[in-house]
Amino acid sequence: MTYAADANLRPAVDADYTAASKWRSRGINLAMAGLTITAVAFVGNLAAVGQTGADRASTLAWTFGVTTTGFALIKTAIAVVLWGIILKLWLRAESLKVALPKLVGTPGTDPQPLGDIDTSFGKATITEKAPGPLPIHKMAKKMFRPMIVMGLMAVMVGLVVSFVAAGSAPNTAALAWMQGLQFLGEGMLLSGISFLLGTILWALRTAGGEVQESLGVNTYTPKMPNTAKAFVALMMLGLMVSIAQFIGYVAVAGSSDPAAAFAWLGPFREFGLGLILAGIALALVSIGNVLGFQFWRVANLIKNGERS
Amino acid sequence: MTTNTATSSNDFAIDVSKKGLGYNKPQKMGKKLWAPMWIMAIMAFPIALALGVVRSNAISSGEAETTIATLGHVTTGVMFIGFSAIFAAISFAIARILGEFRKGGGEVQESVSTDVRTLKMPPTAKIFILGMAMGMMTLLVASIVHFVVAAQVSSGSISVATAETAAITLEAVRRLGVAVYLVAITFGLATIVKVLRFQAIRLRELV
Repeated sequence: MTYAADANLRPAVDADYTAASKWRSRGINLAMAGLTITAVAFVGNLAAVGQTGADRASTLAWTFGVTTTGFALIKTAIAVVLWGIILKLWLRAESLKVALPKLVGTPGTDPQPLGDIDTSFGKATITEKAPGPLPIHKMAKKMFRPMIVMGLMAVMVGLVVSFVAAGSAPNTAALAWMQGLQFLGEGMLLSGISFLLGTILWALRTAGGEVQESLGVNTYTPKMPNTAKAFVALMMLGLMVSIAQFIGYVAVAGSSDPAAAFAWLGPFREFGLGLILAGIALALVSIGNVLGFQFWRVANLIKNGERS
Repeated sequence: MTTNTATSSNDFAIDVSKKGLGYNKPQKMGKKLWAPMWIMAIMAFPIALALGVVRSNAISSGEAETTIATLGHVTTGVMFIGFSAIFAAISFAIARILGEFRKGGGEVQESVSTDVRTLKMPPTAKIFILGMAMGMMTLLVASIVHFVVAAQVSSGSISVATAETAAITLEAVRRLGVAVYLVAITFGLATIVKVLRFQAIRLRELV
């Protein structure tokens, strides 16, 4: 079987399922690099306590830029590890395809009619053939890469602006651009992570369908749970807030006294990231539910099958 | 110990049992606690935003510096209670996923009437738990100190300048706490990759 449409989203069928994931180790190394960079900025930030005036403003500007860059690297590390999860999910599905026919033997007669059923993991649909991806899955598959790349670019440009702000302190215009750009980047990186989680949900759905089809049994697919719907809404809302805060910072960049605007833009930008993070938590909960459902389905197939 | 060239489940650190081991303690905690943490975060974020707007209005209307400094510390304290809670919710959700793998993997092996092989908690999972605890404590302590400083500057027992210095120190501590939390989450996800590899190998051994 060929999977040309998603060839860049899954390993080859005959890929080595025993091999350790290089994405896992790369992700861990990148996360440690991000933590080291943040620790350097931490020391600089503490040094600012003993400074006054322009010196303090300068130190606070570059430490902001460097810290946010450290966060961005760790978030990229998370994305790299999530990519490793996607690849390993497919290899596990291939193992299921190899093992299940022998473990199930002749599948038992399915007493459930086609249509919707309630399970302890939520509502599910029984179909003869595996259902296709949902619109959000198609979007997630396309969007995670551009979001991560654009997010990293925005954070890096913001880092350069932070050095400009540090070299010309006090420079409120540069400070405004730095904060707006870096938090737009952070929002995009978190959205990229959200899209990767959406891609994991797609991989679980598609692989689950393929495994059941390969056995010749009806396909049980969990319906999109409320946690997944809320995940999409929170991610979109959070991304919009991240874009709005950037516009807000750009709008006040020319102001001679932006203190009042900075006072609400700071919490506003963090509110945006908080919304995306809340969505990410729900996506992880949805993944947990789907996994529980799939284990239940596999165990039932083995129990009800007739092995020779 | 697991090696990069593991070819069978024996190459992993495992527990062998007759029955599936079910969830371990952190995973049970994850199942119970992700939702309360999530709700706490989703309440804290809008409250902090509203406080930020109030502070912005206070600056615009030229209110006392002590009021503005107090509001600044309270806003940040509430916001980072929110971040601490949402990172906890994410961490608990990851623990919950690991729990599904552990419980489900055991049930599938049980249904084949074979020995149940369960991956022992890998070092990455231990770092995940430790990092999460450190990150959470750092953010919570920083938030509490923000409230203490807010009370002090509001009552006049410390100056606005001292409150500003405290804000810079606490900002540094908070940022480090966030970084530690994010690294812990990376390790939690890295544990999932290892579990998937173990299960891909173990499944083919069941035949």
